[in-house]
Amino acid sequence: MTYLYQDQDAAWDADQSPDQDTVLTVQQVSKKFCRSLRRSLFYGVQDIATELIGGRTGQPDLRYQEFWALQQVSLKLKRGEALGLIGANGSGKTTLLRIISGLIKPDTGWVRVRGKIAPLIALGAGFSPVLTGRENIYANMSILGLSTQQITQRFEQVVEFAEIGEAIDAPVYSYSSGMAARLGFSCAIHTDPEILLIDEVLAVGDIKFLARCHRRLHQLRQNGTAFVLVSHNPQAILSMCQQSVYLQKGIVRMAGETEAVMAQYEEDLFLGGARKVSSVLHLPPRPACESLGLDIASICFRNPAGEVLPDLTSGEPVVLCVRLQAHQSLSQVNLRLSFMEMSKDGQTTLYLGGSNDKEVFQVAAGWHELQVEFPYLGLAPGAYLLRVDIRREALFILDIVESFSFTVQSNGRMSKSSFYQPRSWRLVPQPDRLDQERSASDILNYTHPNI
Amino acid sequence: MTGRDRHPSETLYTPESRIRYPRQLWADMKHDLLASRDLAWRLMVRDISARYRQSFLGVFWAFVPPIVAAIGLTLASNAEVLNVGETSIPYPAYVMFSMALWQTFVEALNGPVQAVIAAKPMLARINFPREAIILSQIGQVGFNFGIKLVLIVALFIIFRIPVSWPIIFAPIALIHLIALGTAFGLLLAPIGTLYEDVPRGLSLAVSAWLFITPVIFPPPQTGLFAVLVQWNPVTPLLVTVRDLATGGVMSQPLAFWIASGVAVGGLFLSWVVYRIAMPFVIERISA
Repeated sequence: MTYLYQDQDAAWDADQSPDQDTVLTVQQVSKKFCRSLRRSLFYGVQDIATELIGGRTGQPDLRYQEFWALQQVSLKLKRGEALGLIGANGSGKTTLLRIISGLIKPDTGWVRVRGKIAPLIALGAGFSPVLTGRENIYANMSILGLSTQQITQRFEQVVEFAEIGEAIDAPVYSYSSGMAARLGFSCAIHTDPEILLIDEVLAVGDIKFLARCHRRLHQLRQNGTAFVLVSHNPQAILSMCQQSVYLQKGIVRMAGETEAVMAQYEEDLFLGGARKVSSVLHLPPRPACESLGLDIASICFRNPAGEVLPDLTSGEPVVLCVRLQAHQSLSQVNLRLSFMEMSKDGQTTLYLGGSNDKEVFQVAAGWHELQVEFPYLGLAPGAYLLRVDIRREALFILDIVESFSFTVQSNGRMSKSSFYQPRSWRLVPQPDRLDQERSASDILNYTHPNI
Repeated sequence: MTGRDRHPSETLYTPESRIRYPRQLWADMKHDLLASRDLAWRLMVRDISARYRQSFLGVFWAFVPPIVAAIGLTLASNAEVLNVGETSIPYPAYVMFSMALWQTFVEALNGPVQAVIAAKPMLARINFPREAIILSQIGQVGFNFGIKLVLIVALFIIFRIPVSWPIIFAPIALIHLIALGTAFGLLLAPIGTLYEDVPRGLSLAVSAWLFITPVIFPPPQTGLFAVLVQWNPVTPLLVTVRDLATGGVMSQPLAFWIASGVAVGGLFLSWVVYRIAMPFVIERISA
C-alpha cells in the first residue's frame, strides 16, 4: 500500500515499529537541481566541501537558480507490490528513482531500503562493444552486484531468456540493437532483486520478447519482488500496478488507486487545469489587443430542439454550436474539429475540417453561432476531448480552444462496437422462386468459372 | 553500499553528512572494499582484454616510451648536449629503468581521474561500490608494470647489473610509489570529473613534475634545484626502488619512510574524500 504521511512525527513513529513487509520507505524526500550548468558544477564543489566538514544538516534553502526537482515526496512499498509512477517529462520520476537506488543523496527526508535493488534503468551498463556477449554478461551482472559464482549459476538462463544463442561468443558490436537490449534486460532481470525499478524500458525488443518480459515480471512478483514502474504508457501501469503516485513538478499531485490517479493525470494532461462549468464552455472575453479579429465565446452541444445536452448519446442527432464574436468582417472562415478519446492516449478519433467539406463562411462583424449538425452521433461511448480551432483560409488561426471535454453514453445497442453505424433493417419480398434459382446458378457459375 | 546500514540488508539514505558518523563510515568503507573485489577483477579483465583486442601492437606500447627516452637521452648525453652526472648503473639502463618506474607512477596518478570519467555512464545509473573502479585501476597499473618487468629483466641481463638480496624489498617501495600516485589521483578524481580543467592541468603538471624527479639524471646534491628535487615526495620512493633493485643500499632511508607515510596516509584520506564526494559528483554529471 502507498501511504502518504502528512507530518514528520507520524512518519517517525511508524519508523520505530517498521512493518517487516515494507521493503521501501520514502519519507518527505526533496531534491533541488540547478538550471545553469556552470553554477551547478560550482554548487557541486560547494556541496562536497560542506559535506567534508560535516556541515550538511538536511535543512537546505534554495540557492540562486536552483529549483525543487522533488518536494516532500513520501511513499511506501511492500513485498510483492507494484507501484506506478506517473507524471509528465521533468516531473521528477527519474530523480526519485535515482534517490531510491542511492545514486544521489536527498536534500531533505530519508529513504530506507530493505534488500537489493535492481535498476532496470541502465540496460547493458558497462557493456564493452569489443568484448563478447559472454564476457559482457559477467561484467554487467558483476556491476549489478552478483558474485562470479552466482553469475555462472544463472548464465544459461540469461542467455536463453535473451535468445542470443550462438552469438554469445561474438563481440557485442556485431549485435543488433534489439539483441543488445535483450541481453541487458536479461542480465538485469536475473539478479533476483527485492525491489525492481523499471524506467520506461519495457519498450525494447519485439512483441514476443515483450510478452516474455511481462511473464518474467509476473513471476518475479509472485515470488515477492516489489516493483516501481515508471511509464508514459497508461496501459502498462494500469495492467501492473494497483497503486500509483502522480508527480507534477516534483510534488505528489495525487496518490492512491491507479485508476483514479490515472484519470486525474489524463485530465490534467489534456485540460491543462481549465474547468468546464455546466455543459457549456464559456470563454472569457478577450481584450481587443489580443484578439485576432474573431473570438470563440462558447461551445456546447444541443439537441435538434435547441436544448443544451449535458452529455451525448451514440446514434442520436446532435448539433455542435460554437458562438463567435467577429470584430471585423472576415472571409474564408472555417472551423476544424478534432475529437480525441481520453483512454487512447489522446489520439484523434475523428477529424472534421470545414475546408475539407468545402464549408467556408463569410463572416460579418458581430455575433454568430456556427452550427455543425450530426444527424447521428457516430462516436462510441467514452470520454472525449474536442479541440476546436477557427481559421481564416488554411493557415491563419483566429482562435483555438484546446479542450472541450464531454462524454458519450451508450444508447444500449453499442456492445462490441467502436463507432455507431446508422442503419435500417428490412425484409424485402422477392417476386418468384424461378428467378431466385436462376440467380443462384449465376452465383455458382461465377464462383466456379472453371466448372 | 553507500548510506548508513542498520541491518545487513537495510540501507538508509539521509541528507546528513556521512563524515559525522565516522565509525559507520569506516564500516561502510571496509564493507564496500571487500564487496568490490569481484567487480574490480571483472572490470580489470574487461578493460585489459578490450584494450588489447583493439590494439595490433599490444604490449609493444608498454615498452616503447622507456626505450625511446633511453635512446634519445643516451644520444644526447654521448654528444654532450646533455650533461648528466655519474649514474650508479650504465646510463641507458638507468634511464630505461627509471622511466618505467616514473611511467608506473604517472599511470597511478592519472588512473583514478581517467577511470572515473570513463565510468561516468555506469556511475550515473547503477549504485555499485565505487571502490571497484579504483581497485581495477590499480590492478591495471600493476598489470602494466608486470609487462614492463619483462623489459627490466632484459635490461638487467644485457647490462649485467649486479643484484643483491635487498631486491626482495623493492616491490614494497614500488607499492608505496603506486600508492602515492593513486593518493593524488584519487583526491582529484571527483573534482576532475566535474571540471575538465583538472585532467588538463594534471597532464601539464606531470610533464613539469618529471623535471624535478631524478628520472633522467641522478639526484643533484647542491643548489635550489637539489632542494626542489628533495622535497618532491616521488624522489625518495623512486630512488629507493632503484637503489634496492640495483645496488641494495638505500640512499635516502628517512625521506623514504616519510614519503611512504605521506603515500599511505594520503591514500586513506583521498579514499574518504572520494567516497563522500562521489554522490555529489554523480548528481551533477548525469544527463
